[in-house]
Amino acid sequence: MEPSTEKGGNPYRKRFRPGEDLISWFLLGMASLAIIVSLAIIYTLVDGSYGFFIDARVDIIDFFTGKNWSPHGATPSFGMGPLIQGTVMIAGGALILGGPLGIMAALYLSEFAHNRIRAVAKPFLEILAGIPSIVYGFFALLVISQVFRDYFEADYFNAASAIVVMAVMILPIVVSVSDDSMKAVPREMREASLAMGATKWETATKVVMPAASSGIMASVLLGLARAIGETMVVVLAAGSIAKFSWSIFHEHMTMTAYIAQVATGDIPPGIGIQAAFAVGLVLFAITFLINWLASKVVISIKKGGSGGLRRKKLGLLSSALHLLPNLTNDLLDKVRSDRMSKNMTMRYVKERVGKVVLGSSLLVALVFLVFLLYSILEQGLSGLTPHFFTNFPSSDPAKAGIWPVIQGSVYLVLLTMLFAMPVGIGAAIYLNEFAKENWFNLFLRRIIQNLAGVPSIVFGLVGLTIFVRFFSFGLSLLSGALTLAIMVLPIVIVTSEEALRSVPQTFREAARGLGATKWQTVWHHVLPNAIPGVLTGSILSLSRALGETAPILFIASFFSKVAPNSIMDGFLALPITIFYWTKHPKQEFQDLAATTIIVLLLILLTMNAVAIFIRQRSQSKRKW
Amino acid sequence: MFAFLNKKKKEECVCPIPGKEAKEAYIDMKGVNIFYGSNRAVKDVSMRIKHRKVTAFIGPSGCGKSTLLRALNRMNDEIDGCKMTGSIFMNGVDILGKKVDPVSLRTNVGMVFQKPNPFPKSIFDNVAYGPRIHGIRKKSTLDCIVEKSLRDAALWEEVGDRLAESAIGLSGGQQQRLCIARALAVNPEMILMDEPCSALDPIATSKIEDLIFELKKSYTVVIVTHNMQQAARVSDDTGFMYLGELIEFGPTKQIFQRPKQKLTENYITGRFG
Repeated sequence: MEPSTEKGGNPYRKRFRPGEDLISWFLLGMASLAIIVSLAIIYTLVDGSYGFFIDARVDIIDFFTGKNWSPHGATPSFGMGPLIQGTVMIAGGALILGGPLGIMAALYLSEFAHNRIRAVAKPFLEILAGIPSIVYGFFALLVISQVFRDYFEADYFNAASAIVVMAVMILPIVVSVSDDSMKAVPREMREASLAMGATKWETATKVVMPAASSGIMASVLLGLARAIGETMVVVLAAGSIAKFSWSIFHEHMTMTAYIAQVATGDIPPGIGIQAAFAVGLVLFAITFLINWLASKVVISIKKGGSGGLRRKKLGLLSSALHLLPNLTNDLLDKVRSDRMSKNMTMRYVKERVGKVVLGSSLLVALVFLVFLLYSILEQGLSGLTPHFFTNFPSSDPAKAGIWPVIQGSVYLVLLTMLFAMPVGIGAAIYLNEFAKENWFNLFLRRIIQNLAGVPSIVFGLVGLTIFVRFFSFGLSLLSGALTLAIMVLPIVIVTSEEALRSVPQTFREAARGLGATKWQTVWHHVLPNAIPGVLTGSILSLSRALGETAPILFIASFFSKVAPNSIMDGFLALPITIFYWTKHPKQEFQDLAATTIIVLLLILLTMNAVAIFIRQRSQSKRKW
Repeated sequence: MFAFLNKKKKEECVCPIPGKEAKEAYIDMKGVNIFYGSNRAVKDVSMRIKHRKVTAFIGPSGCGKSTLLRALNRMNDEIDGCKMTGSIFMNGVDILGKKVDPVSLRTNVGMVFQKPNPFPKSIFDNVAYGPRIHGIRKKSTLDCIVEKSLRDAALWEEVGDRLAESAIGLSGGQQQRLCIARALAVNPEMILMDEPCSALDPIATSKIEDLIFELKKSYTVVIVTHNMQQAARVSDDTGFMYLGELIEFGPTKQIFQRPKQKLTENYITGRFG
């Protein structure tokens, strides 16, 4: 029909596009799954804790204030004091060690490091972040703890070794968040300071650091939340006795460690199991609070100190202007008194020494990593024989192998991604392409952000309650994969969104300008160009799922010694096997744990190499 | 309307007929206001854009001329927090009205952006994209449309023998003409150009200007430009905008030679902006 024949009609009338609406509702549904997951977490913790608190043997006040934690026996006592003490000591200790180290490294990277050093340091930190926590746990128990035993007469299990290792574990997040906030400080501010005759060192410490202080604060808070939520290191290295003691060379139990203890079946059935949910609830509340605080701090930098300036740059500039008067006086005094070259020399010496001190923080971390890799290779390399790959786990270390374990891990991870990828990518498309800026979508984003901060052991409790029990999937591959899927979901969403965002806006405008619908634009132009990024992100999430131990501690059974035949079968996974072998009293099995770690690290390395390859290839082929 | 496109092409393999059945693609704006959040970027603009003429919007940066242009194909809908009031009549239909579908509207109003933005695909696929999303699959029809559009955009001579090559390899000026061809391929009534030459060198610019001259034989063209000489060269009517208001609107000759408003005169003579 010709438009001209529609006399008086509307040639631009609304067309009925059911597909378009259907797709956008479908994508919204995927994004909304994040809300359902959050509700599932809250339901699990509240429901489980309710069962615990109404028990006659439990006194709520004693739970929060008591100093005696003995969850089983004839007269159990639930005073969380020792657990809180253990958590505070270990996480706090890690922060005291790792926080300054991380901030120093960030300052060095942002202000002093040569581009070449940055190019090496970034992947190095990514490696630190990519090593599964079970590997750190192994290292803490079998290597670091040894040192404390030899030189400080520490217990076999002690808090000190966990503190040292955890300090390195939180390093990547502290460095990357601090570094980002320092780099966000506008160049004009540095130039203003340098132009007044300040040295680079003075500029870095007196202008850049204060201007980036909220970001640094946020990085420390995020590191703290990470340390409090960490499970495997404390379970392995810090021990499983809840004793009230202030010595870091004694055995300590944290909140996460108690939940893990329940997961591994070391607590007999009964009220002690219920207690894990109450502890989980407290843990969840604490980490939620810290993450919320961190996000508040970050938001306040984005908004700027005063005047409600929205733009990050302006905000920082304005807060810098508050700083400048003091600085100016300070510096003017200095410049006047510095007529003498002696003072000048002192200032340069300060800069030199400062630089070396800052740079050495990175070196400390590097030495740690080399030491870690070396000790694992030394202990495990000899076990890396062909029959180790083909044999089944056995009580005889000479015959033990990991064939069903590898199979279990592969099935588990593939199944996890089968669930997490479509939902995660769908949610990312919704958030980046369809979502308008309204309260609901802001709420969704907030929920996803919070999910990313939930300690992994809490997902274990959720998996147990929701998938194993509520849906009666049992201790199966399916339950394990679903549990891991809800855990990696926020990572898949965030990385996919980043990939989508990197597609130039002009492509969208061009397509929309030609009369393409939203979905046509996404399908024809945005997705094809975002695929490499989405793939890279997915592989990284995959490697996270592969290395994760805590969430499947409840579900994976060490006693199923054959590979699963169906998704309803029990299964073994590499990190779980490493966990049990590390805990094994016999040296031979600890060696096997090291060998298994080598296998796990090799697989992770391959996956990361593939991800990097995809990223680089797409960047070199990128035409825009 | 696409059924119409399809039928015509299948029967005669005639490429989109420019201007179609003499549809008067005039535009009547009445009291148009455009807001970004609480900021009023366009204030109470009324004007009449004539059929098959080139109308230019000039004015200093941030005066709202691009925003106004983007109202004509509802591209402003893509910006969160952008609100439009008033009415813009196109062929007697208020395109700001609720009953109007922006997607349908945009197939009748093509747009060329400030920076050439070809898709990272072949030259052929770039031009064929519009017809394809409107359901044209037949190779011969697409071939025909692509050739015609490229010819109309004065690009056929240069790229006709390498349609399968990536559009990204073209020069900036060629890319911009490709974007024009891409807009022509859906056979619009009207073409919007948002500073189409600001990223181009003088030679490429003069080619685009020649092209605009050709285009107005078949299309209504609205162009936003920073460059007053360009407005004077290519347009029939000119609107001068300042701080969101339409200060003066009239035949280009009159605006440039005998402006009625002091503000317009100051701007044209280079006393500000």
